[in-house]
Amino acid sequence: MTKPLLVLLLAVCSHAVFSQNLTDGLMMKKNLFCTGLMYSNDQWEDYWEGTLERDNGNIGKIRTQSLMWGGVYGITDKINVIAMVPYMKIDASEGTLHEMKGLQDLSIGVKYNFFQKNFEKSSFNTFAVFNFSTPLSDYSPDFFPLSLGTQTTNLSYRLTANFRIEQGWFINASGAYTWRSNTTLDREGYYDGDEYILSDEVEMPNVFDVFVSLGYLKGPLQAELQYIQMNTLGGSDITRQGMPFVSNRMNFIKTGVLVMYYPPFVKNLAVRGGYTTTLAGRNVGDSNTFMLGAFYTFNFSREKIQSSTPTTTN
Amino acid sequence: MKTIKYYTMILVSACLLTFVVASCNKDIEMLEELKPLQPTDIDEDAENWASVNNDATDVTLAKIITAAETAPKIFDPASDLASVQNVESDAYKAELTAIVDLQKNLTGAQKKAIEYWSAGGVMRWNQILRGLVAKYNLPPAPKGDGSYPVPDAENPFGDPNFPFANPPYASRSYAYVSVAQYEALKAAWHYMYVYERPSPFKVQNSGVKSLMPETDLPAYPSYDAVLSGVTAEVLKLMFPAALEEITLKAAEQRNAALWSGRATSSDIAKGLALGKSVASLMANRARNDRMGTAGGNKAMWKALEDGAIAKQEVPWISLETPKRPPMLPFFGLRDAASQEDNKGVKTWIMTKAEIIDNRPVPPSTSSNEMKDEVAEVKWYSENLTRERLAIVHKWADGVNTHTPAGHWNDIMTEYVRDANWSEVRAARAYALLNITMHEAAVACWDTKFYYFNPRPSQMDQNIKTGTGVPNFPAFTSGHSTFSGSAAAILSYLFPADTDYFEAEAKEASYSRLYGGIHYRSDVEMGYDHGQVVGGFVRNFAENDGADGD
Repeated sequence: MTKPLLVLLLAVCSHAVFSQNLTDGLMMKKNLFCTGLMYSNDQWEDYWEGTLERDNGNIGKIRTQSLMWGGVYGITDKINVIAMVPYMKIDASEGTLHEMKGLQDLSIGVKYNFFQKNFEKSSFNTFAVFNFSTPLSDYSPDFFPLSLGTQTTNLSYRLTANFRIEQGWFINASGAYTWRSNTTLDREGYYDGDEYILSDEVEMPNVFDVFVSLGYLKGPLQAELQYIQMNTLGGSDITRQGMPFVSNRMNFIKTGVLVMYYPPFVKNLAVRGGYTTTLAGRNVGDSNTFMLGAFYTFNFSREKIQSSTPTTTN
Repeated sequence: MKTIKYYTMILVSACLLTFVVASCNKDIEMLEELKPLQPTDIDEDAENWASVNNDATDVTLAKIITAAETAPKIFDPASDLASVQNVESDAYKAELTAIVDLQKNLTGAQKKAIEYWSAGGVMRWNQILRGLVAKYNLPPAPKGDGSYPVPDAENPFGDPNFPFANPPYASRSYAYVSVAQYEALKAAWHYMYVYERPSPFKVQNSGVKSLMPETDLPAYPSYDAVLSGVTAEVLKLMFPAALEEITLKAAEQRNAALWSGRATSSDIAKGLALGKSVASLMANRARNDRMGTAGGNKAMWKALEDGAIAKQEVPWISLETPKRPPMLPFFGLRDAASQEDNKGVKTWIMTKAEIIDNRPVPPSTSSNEMKDEVAEVKWYSENLTRERLAIVHKWADGVNTHTPAGHWNDIMTEYVRDANWSEVRAARAYALLNITMHEAAVACWDTKFYYFNPRPSQMDQNIKTGTGVPNFPAFTSGHSTFSGSAAAILSYLFPADTDYFEAEAKEASYSRLYGGIHYRSDVEMGYDHGQVVGGFVRNFAENDGADGD
């Protein structure tokens, strides 16, 4: 295997949470298909009730475990399709509340590398990503913090910029606006933290996120530091000693590290792990997450592609 | 190659556009939409309908009239009848002219207010009340030392807010507001037919338009203003921290009556005064109904626990961390040995003997029957299907909700709307329903704290629940008692839908078993108990003179 292809494979399968394929500055070559499984474990004991950070003896520690299938396929060198399906299980260490588990949301994204500029010893790329996600099961959105999700269909519009130098250092910045559909509860009226609504339908505020990473990618090792911020553009705070509600204003800032290794003894396989921790939040848990996954790349091209030049990673 | 790229790009853009266009609208579909109220019968004889009158502090029409005609008099028919009836007086004509002027320049917001209140004040206030209950239905957060602060009526804006509108408190609030409205409207009907002054839009050549559905009801005093006054005052007593919201709504209701041409400023002023006067009589009852001592104290809580142990039963223990004192243990508990009715919040219809005599009996916590019941709850816990979870959540009515009593008000409201009843008959329906559920709360809380039985998750820690475990004893289920009683009185009010009410009430009851927070005996005996409670109120209703026979 030639070195360019190796770099390509590492790049494509380099993200622990598969959703990072949506935010990073890397592309999968045409007719390559990278797929794998990712386990993540997220835990929190303290959470923000509005802006007040507290614990709650009636739930103890909330643990979210997720096993996710992910796949990226290169339609062309410039257009990739990214799909994810997570199975989740959420439980509380204290109190009586029943664990929730099941398939969460199917996510399908199209990523387009619409601009590329190569300099003598560096390159600059920009990407547009459209992502669609929708629930795969009828899990309840009315049982936070144990609900698997919001039971909404989401449409994300993302722009990403990536700058890389020959030595392997890169900086990547990405932002997205996510439109969320309304969600439906099993009850015909609710207090949303501001007012009492006589409906089973909940108006869901949209979401904005920012993802910045700084890292190194060359040879069999990739490492990056991340800054992740999510802001819900509306919604109310958790009421005092109340339960979280699906349309709450859930904000957070997290930081994380991702490390990937490409074992030389197995062809086309990538393994990697990651860790993120929460720096600040509102109506979310002060959580720590670790992730571990393995990915394998298949080549559906009739011809060997080792001669081709990776579009964004050289 | 290039063509394929552009083709893909166009396809993706088209997809994006379609989604955006299809998905912008986030308007939610509201349930319980009301329409302008056009009563089929204005119930001219409503003043003759019986009042609840079992206690010295109960409010009857006679008491209201005495208060209204005692100095400073609100009404003095012996001397002011002719002047009130004179629609040719300069003062009255000036009031009409003022309405004509107002109607020329109505803003969009004012028209919206007219439309909102034209649906009927009784239903609107019920919706508002349910919202207040939901907002204030929050248990106090524990302090750093693991103790819990008690909501303080003198400091309602503090942490915790006052009140904690939990199910018993809420059922009492619904009852006070509904009974106060009912008695105030009967008094309004009484005076409306004493003075028989027409609505402004009915006065010949007044130039006043009618912007709400027209009725033949007289206008003095304005029953809209009566409702605004009585409801706002009782609500301020029950939810003092919601003062601003309450007074704004009440003012809007009076303004809507004025702007719509239904009442003049003097109709409204008299109505407001009458409403407030009735509220003050109701407040006297509320201040003396023992709600203030329903929380008990440490020694009394210990006595409940010791009592259960003395009977060789497993006593209830709070499943919260830190352990929280039980919710209003002396809201219902009746003491047969005591000469006076010295514990428990005052009832409306049921006597102390009736409460005690109808108290159900649970299986012993050490019996085989109990073992089987625990095993059954565990089975439901381990087999919590999505369908059952939906039922659990449909009826959970827990923290930050209108409570089970509110849920049944919600259910009844569409029926009241579709019945096209006069305001006074609508108020009767809410009064009957909410008296029933108040009595159910008292009877159920009496049972709960008489036995002090543990929850399933206390008997078996592996029992996980589909909703929060309420912080009070298990036997009997409050949801089942509320729902059984509500179904009984709704079946009286809307007999064609008896099967529906009973099916819903049973679903509400069993939701507690599905959710893993109640045993079958809590649910089934609670439902039956509720039906018995409902029977007492139904018996009152059948003889109150409102059915026209």
